[in-house]
Amino acid sequence: MPIAEQGYTHWGGRFVERRVPWGPITRLGVRMAFKRKFFKLAFALSFMPAVVFAAGIYVSERLEDFQFMFKGRPGSTSFLEVNPLYFKSYFAGDFLLFMLVMMMVLGGAGLIADDLRSNSLQLYFARPIRKRDYLAGKLATAGAFVLLFTLAPGVLFILLKIVFAGSFKILTAYPWIPAAVVLDSLLLATFFSAYTLLISSLSKNRRYAAVLLFLGYLFSDLFFGIFYGIFHNPAFCLLSIKANLQQVAAALFRVPPAFDVPWLYSLLVLAAIVAASAAVLARKTRGVEVIK
Amino acid sequence: MTAVIRTQGLSKWYGNVLGLSDVTLEIGAGITGLLGPNGAGKSTFMKLVTGQLKPSLGRVEILDRPVWNNTALFARIGFCPEQDAFYDELTGGEFVTRLLELQGFSRAEAEERAGKALRFVELAAEKDRLLRGYSRGMRQRLKIAQTIAHDPDILILDEPLNGLDPLSKRKIIRLIRDLRDAGRTILVSSHVLPEIEALTRSIVLLHHGKILAQGDVPYIRELIDKHPHKVAVTCADPRTLAAGLLGQPSVLNVQFGPEAGTVVFETRDRDAFFGRLTRLIAEGAQDVEEITSPDDNLQAVFDYLVGT
Amino acid sequence: MSGLARPVRSIFSFYLFLVRRARRTKAFALVALLPAVTALVIRINAWLTPGASVDGPAVFANMVLTFNLQFLILVLALFYGTSISAEEIEGRTLTYLTTRPVPKAAIILGKYGAYGVFLGGMVIVGVAAAFAILEADRLADAAEWLVLLRSVAVLALGLATYLAFFTLAGVLLRKSILFGLMFCFGWENIVPYFPGATQRLTLMHYLKSLLPPVATGGEGRFAFLMFKLEPSAPAAAVITLAAVTAAALGLACWAFARKEYSFEE
Repeated sequence: MPIAEQGYTHWGGRFVERRVPWGPITRLGVRMAFKRKFFKLAFALSFMPAVVFAAGIYVSERLEDFQFMFKGRPGSTSFLEVNPLYFKSYFAGDFLLFMLVMMMVLGGAGLIADDLRSNSLQLYFARPIRKRDYLAGKLATAGAFVLLFTLAPGVLFILLKIVFAGSFKILTAYPWIPAAVVLDSLLLATFFSAYTLLISSLSKNRRYAAVLLFLGYLFSDLFFGIFYGIFHNPAFCLLSIKANLQQVAAALFRVPPAFDVPWLYSLLVLAAIVAASAAVLARKTRGVEVIK
Repeated sequence: MTAVIRTQGLSKWYGNVLGLSDVTLEIGAGITGLLGPNGAGKSTFMKLVTGQLKPSLGRVEILDRPVWNNTALFARIGFCPEQDAFYDELTGGEFVTRLLELQGFSRAEAEERAGKALRFVELAAEKDRLLRGYSRGMRQRLKIAQTIAHDPDILILDEPLNGLDPLSKRKIIRLIRDLRDAGRTILVSSHVLPEIEALTRSIVLLHHGKILAQGDVPYIRELIDKHPHKVAVTCADPRTLAAGLLGQPSVLNVQFGPEAGTVVFETRDRDAFFGRLTRLIAEGAQDVEEITSPDDNLQAVFDYLVGT
Repeated sequence: MSGLARPVRSIFSFYLFLVRRARRTKAFALVALLPAVTALVIRINAWLTPGASVDGPAVFANMVLTFNLQFLILVLALFYGTSISAEEIEGRTLTYLTTRPVPKAAIILGKYGAYGVFLGGMVIVGVAAAFAILEADRLADAAEWLVLLRSVAVLALGLATYLAFFTLAGVLLRKSILFGLMFCFGWENIVPYFPGATQRLTLMHYLKSLLPPVATGGEGRFAFLMFKLEPSAPAAAVITLAAVTAAALGLACWAFARKEYSFEE
């Protein structure tokens, strides 16, 4: 029949007996739960006690290694003394910096790469948007994530210290801490945003950009380790992104740096990367692709 | 008709969304047009027929063999995909040649066939240019080149005329018709009705994942009772002609057209209507310049059935 | 099986051609040459610095081999292994392959072979160049060549295994890069240093078990790589790695053939 009836038609299939009839209901229920925003947050937070207790088991087996938390090491303060070193340890900590890189890998690698792949730049620039607006928007995307884990906790730490101490002693004793928190947060946000966009603009392939982002950070530190191990010259720390960030953080918080290298050199290296990023981005983000 | 492509109760779900429902169809040699509005299920059907998707229910067979994971079938099938995607690092010539090698041809034969296909779609001069430098129309022609280069018996073309200029469209339409005349089976999907109409009168119309209509366009039109046929007559004295036909029971409605001298009749019984009209003309009562059926076309069938 | 040979060869040939053209290949090739460049810097420094000397074998083991074994082959395998399926899906070019008379398993195997051969060549060239620079004064020593050959064999086997592993990850997982980075620089770089049986849960353990043993009576040149290693027997290590490679490739072919891929415009 050439023209088919569009009304209801009874389904002519057969029902199949399931061995576990409630399975699909359970699966759907689990899937639907994860669709709720705050469920994911609660789910993640619920792991925290487990993580802390697992760490506790590790600590319980290695008590001698953790006594420094309470007693401090020779020549340095204990971990639980809140001073500029405490703040610097947070802002320039290996784990935080690594997690910032991972966040950029996950959330920032495709910021420009995806636009290049889908030829969206023409769509952006067909609106009343200048190149700087586009780049500012992208930088802010990456920067916002970084500030969430740097400026926000930094300010929170200061406030919590004031509240729990019941006095402004932290500020009177170390008045440069708030400025250092803000400046170091801005430095980290600016550097990581610029670095992420630089790498993202080099390829239309987000996965390739993600790998390059990670590699650049990792290999810079790796080669620093290799050259330092061979030549024992602290100047090689300028090769490492991580070491440079830590040198500048130490200067901002006015604590002794890890390497005997002027912090300005580290700042210049970071600034050079940001400048390179600006130059590359200016070239790469065009509405028209030049084909050779 | 020997069915080349056969589906039986073909259905596809994407999670809870129904893509295609209970499509039973036989497609033989010649050109069959697959059309429908956006979301009708055309893409889903094309993907099922080309083995990119597995049926949720039902069967799809080509040459009496199931399609899913039956890659040997593709030695005889040429597929022109809808998406505009290529290996940008290759030139046009390399692209077609390498795909022919995957078909099993030797390097020399692949190069020869690639050259012939590229000449046909008028890309021979650009064969050494990188694909990232091709325009939209060139890329579309390249897709067609890779579809026909291995001389397949069955062609499945998903929006083959997208992005082509009118001259190229005419050329490709001519090619498709030549392939039909050579006995190939061709399934063409499009949402541009004039293109389908230029290719074939045999259509399958999908809507909401189901077959809405199938067969020859005029025959389908005949069966659409809800919408009477329109016949437009251009003559010297349309009002007299209208008066002469108004008394006929087969005439349901008369409307005078925007152009002077045109009157449009609506009728459920075209035979009776034309019988009376030709008698009037033969008796010399009317001087008729032109008779057309404005809705005896694919667009009207589409609109009436889809309900726009 | 014989029906796979021709299509695998075709795919292999196609992608060996294509990978040489890709821009990112040049970037990775430069990365693979970094140890050689570093070796050159070290050598030049030694020539220019009076009294300085370079312990070529030690630098080769603790820098070049460490870099290649614990970083480079992981990164190359991660990117190219996951790309075997992911790049066709992201680039929407998969349709051109699946609508050819080429079994889906041949796509996986052919691309695996092409990338494996090409990457292996890249790694070997980098390692050999670094070796030639660092051990320029010991090239007549056959024992050093044996170390090079064994090291290259370990790297090649490691690349083959990791490439297969990440091929499977790329087929099964959407966020294969994230999984891969966690696996490489979390699991594979940390757990091998755990004492006991835990380290046997890593592929790196079996690769390190195949390295030349630490010399007795002093610090062996592979001391860093062998740190905390409780090596498995070489034969068991080879069998384990081969089994993982075969299983990963087999599973990848099986899963890839069963998956559906749909591109929307």
